[in-house]
Amino acid sequence: MRENEDHPKLNVTHTRNIFLNFRNLIGAIGKAYRFNLSALNGAFNRCTAEYSPFLGIEKGAVLQEARVFNDPQLDPRRCSQVITKLLYLLNQGETFTKIEATEVFFAVTKLFQSRDLGLRRMVYLIIKELSPSADEVIIVTSSLMKDMNSKTDMYRANAIRVLCRITDGTLLTQIERYLKQAIVDKNPVVASAALLSGIHLLQTNPEIVKRWSNEVQEAVQSRAALVQFHALGLLHQIRQNDRLAVNKLVTSLTRGTVRSPLAQCLLIRYTSQVIHESAGNTQTGERPFYDYLESCLRHKAEMVIFEAAKAITELNGVTSRELTPAITVLQLFLSSSKPVLRFAAVRTLNKVAMTHPMAVTNCNIDMESLISDQNRSIATLAITTLLKTGNESSVDRLMKQITNFMSDIADEFKIVVVEAIRSLCLKFPLKYRTLMNFLSNILREEGGFEYKKAIVDSIVILIRDIPDAKESGLLHLCEFIEDCEFTYLSTQILHFLGIEGPRTSDPSKYIRYIYNRVHLENAMVRASAVSTLARFGAMVDSLKPRIFVLLRRCLFDSDDEVRDRATLYLNTLGADGAIVETGEPASDFLFESLDIPLVNLETSLKNYEPSDEPFDISSVPREVKVQPLTEKKAPSKKPTGLGAPLTGPATTVDAYERLLSSIPEFSGFGKLFKSSAPVELTEAETEYAVNVIKHIFDQHVVFQYNCTNTIPEQLLENVNVIVDASEAEEFAEVASKPLGSLPYDTPGQTFLAFEKQGIAAVGKFSNTLRFIVKEVDPSTGEAEDDGVEDEYQLEDHEVVAADYMLKVAVSNFRNAWENMNPDSERIDEYGLGPRESLTEAVNTVINLLGMQPCEGTEVVPSNSRSHSCLLSGVFIGNVKVLVRLSFGIDGQKEVAMKLAVRSDEESISDLIHEIVASG
Amino acid sequence: MILAVLFANSVGNILVERFFGVPAEERLHWRSFLVKLGADNLKGVKNEELLVACHKSVYIVYTVLGDVSIFVVGKDEYDELALSEVIFVITSAVKDVCGKPPTERLFLDKYGRICLCLDEIVWTGLLENTEKDRIKRMIRLKPPTEF
Repeated sequence: MRENEDHPKLNVTHTRNIFLNFRNLIGAIGKAYRFNLSALNGAFNRCTAEYSPFLGIEKGAVLQEARVFNDPQLDPRRCSQVITKLLYLLNQGETFTKIEATEVFFAVTKLFQSRDLGLRRMVYLIIKELSPSADEVIIVTSSLMKDMNSKTDMYRANAIRVLCRITDGTLLTQIERYLKQAIVDKNPVVASAALLSGIHLLQTNPEIVKRWSNEVQEAVQSRAALVQFHALGLLHQIRQNDRLAVNKLVTSLTRGTVRSPLAQCLLIRYTSQVIHESAGNTQTGERPFYDYLESCLRHKAEMVIFEAAKAITELNGVTSRELTPAITVLQLFLSSSKPVLRFAAVRTLNKVAMTHPMAVTNCNIDMESLISDQNRSIATLAITTLLKTGNESSVDRLMKQITNFMSDIADEFKIVVVEAIRSLCLKFPLKYRTLMNFLSNILREEGGFEYKKAIVDSIVILIRDIPDAKESGLLHLCEFIEDCEFTYLSTQILHFLGIEGPRTSDPSKYIRYIYNRVHLENAMVRASAVSTLARFGAMVDSLKPRIFVLLRRCLFDSDDEVRDRATLYLNTLGADGAIVETGEPASDFLFESLDIPLVNLETSLKNYEPSDEPFDISSVPREVKVQPLTEKKAPSKKPTGLGAPLTGPATTVDAYERLLSSIPEFSGFGKLFKSSAPVELTEAETEYAVNVIKHIFDQHVVFQYNCTNTIPEQLLENVNVIVDASEAEEFAEVASKPLGSLPYDTPGQTFLAFEKQGIAAVGKFSNTLRFIVKEVDPSTGEAEDDGVEDEYQLEDHEVVAADYMLKVAVSNFRNAWENMNPDSERIDEYGLGPRESLTEAVNTVINLLGMQPCEGTEVVPSNSRSHSCLLSGVFIGNVKVLVRLSFGIDGQKEVAMKLAVRSDEESISDLIHEIVASG
Repeated sequence: MILAVLFANSVGNILVERFFGVPAEERLHWRSFLVKLGADNLKGVKNEELLVACHKSVYIVYTVLGDVSIFVVGKDEYDELALSEVIFVITSAVKDVCGKPPTERLFLDKYGRICLCLDEIVWTGLLENTEKDRIKRMIRLKPPTEF
């Protein structure tokens, strides 16, 4: 940006010099040849007319000029010009060093001597812009305090604004009295300045500003419209945590007079908040304040009408009777001449369409005319709303209109449209032909990566969800990779073809497209194509011989990865009659998911030391390590079509296993099945920080207590945790390992082992930390010899069913489900009672079972009334478990759930139902 | 809150930029985003015709006045309609100071007074004054006429 700014200046200067030389030259010639120079002078004047008054402005020179502020005889005009230059520099992003800023600031303070009004106004502005540091503010405080008590109102208003901008808490207490007076000043400018300063100061000094509420309350009744607006804003901020006070404020103002539309809009917002909060308390069915909102729909100002309409549409459980008047005014706004109104209306209707599509259908004709709106944001919103509200019969007509529209909008808008079309297709699966054709057509047109990815993702989702769309969808993807410039998309599509293609009625028709990639693409795509070909060979016996021919040709590829893959596939799939001894079908070995998180595999491979014993893949831990509770989970992304592979955080499973096996008491417990995330047993910032990790073995459970001593003056010795297992009857303590010494800030561990009776025993454990505490001399760091025995109460913790479940993802849920024995399936229905939302219900069940959500199904689309969620995991004893959950929520937020389980053992399917029933 | 007020010339160079509560490291991103938005959409737009966009929960209302493009960015209570009010006040004040929709030169000639007007209109991200006549008097430290 800065470079761009400099170039025109250089060019102008340069052009001007050339022009001057040229004019002199022509002038000389003109004299000789009696040229008329007037035409040339005109051109020159036009050229110079566009000069910037700040042309060639330089910080150093302006700082020099700022010395005029120190002149004994101040020239107000000159000083104002220099301040303007300083403002220009600051607005251009120029920064002053600390010394420069201080010098300028000190010089500016001298200008308070001048009585020139224009200059004084500039001084107020530049002080705010220079934002002097705390130690400098003192220089200007007395001048500003003087102005704040001046008889000239405008001095008062400006001085308040400047002081409040640059002041800190200590000075604020000194000027508080004046500010309170200013809030009720007769001059609206002074009152507004004080009120806005209040809003600004509320962020840093809330306690002080809250003391002004009486004055602010008085200002709310002001006859000056803007004062009322500013006062209302501040009063609400002061009282926002006091529900009763806000209710009172709203009640009184909705009955009184509100003078400015801006204040009216604020009031509508606060009213809507009160309605929202009191939603659960109304018994009569009559919604409080609805009449007020409805009356605002007839206000003079469009801003107020819109705000009221928006508030009505956002009411919880709004009825169609309540919605109708709001939709009517929004419909009128759709044909307004003002783009902002059209935008606001269509944006609001778009939101309404998500929850009440039928209520918006009346506006469809108006929205169709907005498809050609010059403002593309409006057009896109109109399209996506229509896609939500349209019925099956209007799909074809709508698609025709969209086709014309797509060519002249930017990619970001196109992505929104593609996503809306995807949802529409899932809503009306019978219309897949039209919608799939549309997607394939736009796939062929120009577009960036994100746009193309959105289309491909949509086609993939449609193929997965609409069986009839599969073959045509796959062919569209095949055609796309013939001319695809994005390697990532090509490889992802090839992978997808490898999964879906072999299961179609005629897999051979895809081979040509795939093999073409081996000839025409870069190495990454070629390698992908080889894998896809091999997958066809592995899954379709009739194609195998022909696939071998093609794979053999790949052995001569220039890239070693391509050659390696071809060699691997030819050998494992049994080309040339080679005998394959993998112990399991070759296709499983090659193409099925390893069922192991890649990070775990990576760690195990790094830890593997070359020896005679080959690396054993079954020794790799299978759990997707959850992040410790103290870390926040990254927000989950939307479900994607091709999706990114699951990546788990770095694992510490190996480290746990090594640690436990090194303790003789636990070495006979066998293989570690799972380690939980740390569960905090103390609150933050207490004397001793303790958390527990639950290590699950086949017959045993080991609790690892991680302890930290946060008191520098103490040394703890003989630290152990005394556990009361009276609420964990199926557990019997078998071993413990106390911690010898726990110095300050050096974490240590103590362990307790229990034998469990049931396979998935659950129970609650009460914990007490017991230790000997010794005083430490802070100067020498030495502990006293004698210590005192002491105890410290910790929180309880539980072993729950989820502790016996490993989160293990499957790459293709449907395949995995179909491959499981249908006899092991157990289905039942449950009422989950009233829930806050569907998302909350879904998360509760996922957490209860401790399983891995698959294919992004843990994300519930907003406002959904039903949702399906797929879970997979491995239960203790290495039993694979898959779960399908179907949720539904009704108007009273009652959630019902259908649970279908398949697992390697029928008893475990039953157990999963028991867990849910008792949870 | 009003997050930004930005003036740019016809080729996208910044003339005035004021951010409120926007971290310094995000300003460059906003600046380039707005300039690009203007370059993509403001060609052929009439003076003071408003264009509007929203990016996540942030609203942008922008327009052209003479040689100058004006952008106002806001969130929460400053939605597209409140911002159109803000931009209306800004364009009226600029026209008033310049006497007409300004050329870039005229805008820069009146730079100091335009900065003062902006200071009266938006203060720490809040709309303070809405009437051009009042603003005109206030930048000369004259009290409003109705008082």
